[in-house]
Amino acid sequence: MWQKSKPYLLLLPASFTIILLFFGGIFDGLLKSFGYFPAIGETGLNLTAYDRLLHSSDFWQSMALTLRVAALSSLISAIIGAFLAVALFFVNNSTKKAIPRPWQRLFQLPLTIPHLVAGYMVVLLFTQSGFVSRLLATVGWIDGITEFPVLVNDSFGWGIILTYAWKEAPFVALMLYPVLSRIHGSWSDVSRVFGAGPWQFIREVVVPVMMPAWTIATFIVFVFTFSAFEVPYLLGVTYPSVLPVYSYQLYTSGTLSDRPEALAVNMILAAITILLGLVAYYISKRWNVLKGWG
Amino acid sequence: MSDLRIIDIEKKYRSAQAKDEASFLLSPVQLTIREGEFFSLLGPSGCGKTTLLKLVAGLLEADGGELWFGNENLSNVPPESRKFAMVFQQSLLFPHKTIEDNVAFGLKMQKVGKKKRLNAARSMLDHVGLSGFGRRFPEELSGGQQQRVALARALVANPRVLLMDEPFSALDPSLREEMRELLSQIQKDFRVTVLFVTHDRDEAFALSDRIAVMGEGQLRQIGSARQLYERPHNTVVASFLGLKNILSGQVTNGRFVSSDKIIDASVHHPLADGDYYMIIRPESIKAAAADQSGHVSIRGIVQEMKYVSGSYNLKVIAETQVLECVLTPFQAEQTAVGESIDLLVDMKEVWFLKE
Repeated sequence: MWQKSKPYLLLLPASFTIILLFFGGIFDGLLKSFGYFPAIGETGLNLTAYDRLLHSSDFWQSMALTLRVAALSSLISAIIGAFLAVALFFVNNSTKKAIPRPWQRLFQLPLTIPHLVAGYMVVLLFTQSGFVSRLLATVGWIDGITEFPVLVNDSFGWGIILTYAWKEAPFVALMLYPVLSRIHGSWSDVSRVFGAGPWQFIREVVVPVMMPAWTIATFIVFVFTFSAFEVPYLLGVTYPSVLPVYSYQLYTSGTLSDRPEALAVNMILAAITILLGLVAYYISKRWNVLKGWG
Repeated sequence: MSDLRIIDIEKKYRSAQAKDEASFLLSPVQLTIREGEFFSLLGPSGCGKTTLLKLVAGLLEADGGELWFGNENLSNVPPESRKFAMVFQQSLLFPHKTIEDNVAFGLKMQKVGKKKRLNAARSMLDHVGLSGFGRRFPEELSGGQQQRVALARALVANPRVLLMDEPFSALDPSLREEMRELLSQIQKDFRVTVLFVTHDRDEAFALSDRIAVMGEGQLRQIGSARQLYERPHNTVVASFLGLKNILSGQVTNGRFVSSDKIIDASVHHPLADGDYYMIIRPESIKAAAADQSGHVSIRGIVQEMKYVSGSYNLKVIAETQVLECVLTPFQAEQTAVGESIDLLVDMKEVWFLKE
């Protein structure tokens, strides 16, 4: 009996901490989003915060910005990441060796840098008074630094998108590369003999094979950028702000009555993330046939 | 005529260590494969047969020589434009495509419309005995079925030459036999030119119109199965084809005397005096005591007896020479390991090679 239950008992402290912090936090947030706030004497449950949010133009503007930034960031990093992975695959195939170490290190580098640091790098490089702007002005490509487009703290969110594209493209590439490396070397020979050029090989074999992993990687990037806080807080504008920043602004605005709304924003974010997770899960199930290949 | 002509094609592989020495060399090969012919490259592993096949396919770049199909020089044509097809050792089907999409792959690359190519794929699947399997995925098929699909994929594109690289070597013996029969039938039905690589003598003999025996990067001999087996050009070819009874000796005045003196007989072919190898096929040795005209008698001790599908393979030691012979079960029952045996060799059946 003791032998059987020992592993579970040993896992108990860790499980308890996770359950308390994760599910406890979500449950507390959910209760408060329903208006349960004993600190200000509210003990009933209602949907007032959700109703106010869904009727607020600020919320919808914030939602539009968040979706735009997350969609563009994941799309750009998915494209760049796939391009990098396919390029690595072909370099590897032509040299018949594993990825050369310097290339591997280069792609790992962005993964080791925190998002906040990446955000600061974008500030230093791409603001109108930043390095790139001054470099272009010095070499005469632009007349002055004011001609450089506003890429940081802009209302469209280019700075945020740029940061995520730089940070997440290598993540996508490194997620895809192991899948591509399972592509049989002789498949390229097969497709060539049957009349396929390099592009047809990519379209007919490489892309379909990497599709499941690509979808999952893109989904991870989307969910992360959809609910991330620090980079939009650093590189975004005050209005409109992305949903996590909007939630923070509501929470710290000073009035306790705004807090259920702030937490309702978080609950909506969590619900959308779960919904997207389910969609990604059902899409990836369609490709289950690929499980045994290679 | 749309013959496939290989003219002095050669390939060197550099060794990774020694910079100046070639680690493998495919010596210039000169070969013509006739339209509709089933031609096999037969040789041991590492003899260069797959290299030659890949050079023909265009998957390897030749260091010299030319490849012609009819009046078309294919030497610098990339593999995707050669209009050849290939079946590999493994089926190499694409796991993300259904069976009919795999079969139709070559036609898709030729820009054939979807309906037409899928109809062609289904009809070809019917030919290889897999009708109704089209909507499945490769992992749902057995190894033998996958190789049938690979064959269908190769044939549906109506290739000018079908290249086959030991396609049945990964299958079990009964399945291999079945696939040989299927391939033989299909090759006759479609009259497709086949260049087949194998290390299996029986497979090459069963399927081929002509065979090229290869060894150490060179073509040793080209001929029909019977020509190769009964008239090998050298002892290397003879040994590879399983002819182990090779006796060295001398011919003087139309008489051959082996070095160990176990054979002293007049030869049936006009041979100049000199040193020769006499090659005796195991089937041309009989167990019989009585002397017959044109036969030479050898007495030996049975060293080993093995029953192999309907007959006995015997190893008999005569003086220092080990002779291999094939006896019927009835003949074999008259003797046992360790007993002496009288053998008769028909001198009309032996073959002489100049040393």
